[in-house]
Amino acid sequence: MGYPERWVGLRNYIYLANDDTFRTVVRNSLVFTVVSVALKVLTGVAMALVLHATWRWRNFFRGLLLLPWITSTVIIALTWRWMFDAFPGRGFFNSVLLDAGLISRPIAFMATPEGAMAAVIVANWWRGFPFFGVSYLAGMQSIPGELYEAASVDGASAARRFWHITLPGLKHVIIVTTLLTFIFTINDFNIVYVMTRGGPGTATQVFATYSYEVAFNALRWGRGVTISIFVVPLLIALIPLVSRYLLRERAA
Amino acid sequence: MKGWKAATIVGLVGFGLVVLVPFWWIASMSFKTYEQIQFATSIYVPRPFTWENYTGLWLDTRFPLWLRNSAVTAVVVTAITTVISCLSGYAVARLRFPGRESVASLILILYLVPPALLFIPLYRVLAELGATNSLWSLFLSYPTFTVPFCTWLLIGFFKALPVELEEAAMVDGATRVQALWRVLLPLAAPGIVASAIFAFTLSWNEFLYALIFIQDERAITVPVGLNLLIYGDVFHWGQLMAASVITTVPVVALYMFIHRWMVEGLAAGSVKG
Repeated sequence: MGYPERWVGLRNYIYLANDDTFRTVVRNSLVFTVVSVALKVLTGVAMALVLHATWRWRNFFRGLLLLPWITSTVIIALTWRWMFDAFPGRGFFNSVLLDAGLISRPIAFMATPEGAMAAVIVANWWRGFPFFGVSYLAGMQSIPGELYEAASVDGASAARRFWHITLPGLKHVIIVTTLLTFIFTINDFNIVYVMTRGGPGTATQVFATYSYEVAFNALRWGRGVTISIFVVPLLIALIPLVSRYLLRERAA
Repeated sequence: MKGWKAATIVGLVGFGLVVLVPFWWIASMSFKTYEQIQFATSIYVPRPFTWENYTGLWLDTRFPLWLRNSAVTAVVVTAITTVISCLSGYAVARLRFPGRESVASLILILYLVPPALLFIPLYRVLAELGATNSLWSLFLSYPTFTVPFCTWLLIGFFKALPVELEEAAMVDGATRVQALWRVLLPLAAPGIVASAIFAFTLSWNEFLYALIFIQDERAITVPVGLNLLIYGDVFHWGQLMAASVITTVPVVALYMFIHRWMVEGLAAGSVKG
């Protein structure tokens, strides 16, 4: 299996430090993670506001909007891959754009580096935002109503009430969800592997897929492990932080 | 106030569409013929409507076998996980021993270590054990993420239950095991069911370990099998979508059953995957 094992000291690390692909991988992983997480936070807040204002069947809508989060990531990735596809049989976006007369022939979204990155981000966002929305809804429901009443009496506008009451009340849950999702997204394998295999070229190659590629396709086991080890310092910084927040929540 | 109501309705419809369009795409494609998909006819609604993807999937591919593998794995892993995490959750929630708090944090930290970091070393360990290429590799590896997660959930559920009932049982002569079995576990049943369903869903949907640990086409699980359906010579999109429908339905059914508990248990971050 692979090459015979021997002690190589720091050679794998030095190799990666000089590897252009690895630099692309670091950049891709950061773009993928930061953009997805930011989108999830924003849509999550919007979803929570909508559900919070829903006066009827709130539980039904909450359950409905959570569906993406329980669906298999592989199925989600396959479906979005096809929705973005140009061939065969035109994906969803091409069909809609063609029928609306906005384009005259199918666009191969997944064939361009930017398109492919956008597609994996959208799929990841779609799977993740309902979890954010439901968490923020729970956060909003725990903010005492008197705060809003007092602010209204004092003449605060809806925007100011949101800014000065809702957002500070959600601070804790926003931090927890962001950190948790950051940890899991920067190590995501499924969506990128199923949708693009890291392509076109290396345009969407991220830590986990590159590590898999190097270990299982090129049979460079040591180098594969080294790639994932690069994320460890980040985890060492983030994991205690998340644990502290979650443990505090439980103690309260 | 009228404006807010209208905005809420617009928001609900918007979010509803964003969530439902991909599901409708899956369902609608699963009922189209190969030609309808290839030549992009009747794109939005399948006309004519056909079951051929479902019958083809069932008779011409190994999907039934993959489905069986997925079900066996999910059931075995859920059973292992439930036993271990009930006991470990009980230990942390009820027993007094030095380092109890650190054990609780350690369990959480274990849950947060991503599979992407563990798959290469785990592969080597399982290969040494001779467990690769069979479902045993999954029985052994899935508990590495389901046990910490379910233990973490159950610690919370157990702590929320009054300890006095167990103490009363023990004063009346019950042993600790009897108090756990006869008093605490029945009371915590909703929490245990919820955690078992989480374990089931996590195993049912898992992809990375299943892809790496098993090469034998007869031993793979559904998520890995789905990928074989695309990377063949032909794109079997219709069958793929039919398989997606069949795979998603059991999870959605389970989930409707525990939706409320699941939402309460969300806090520990079931975003993994």
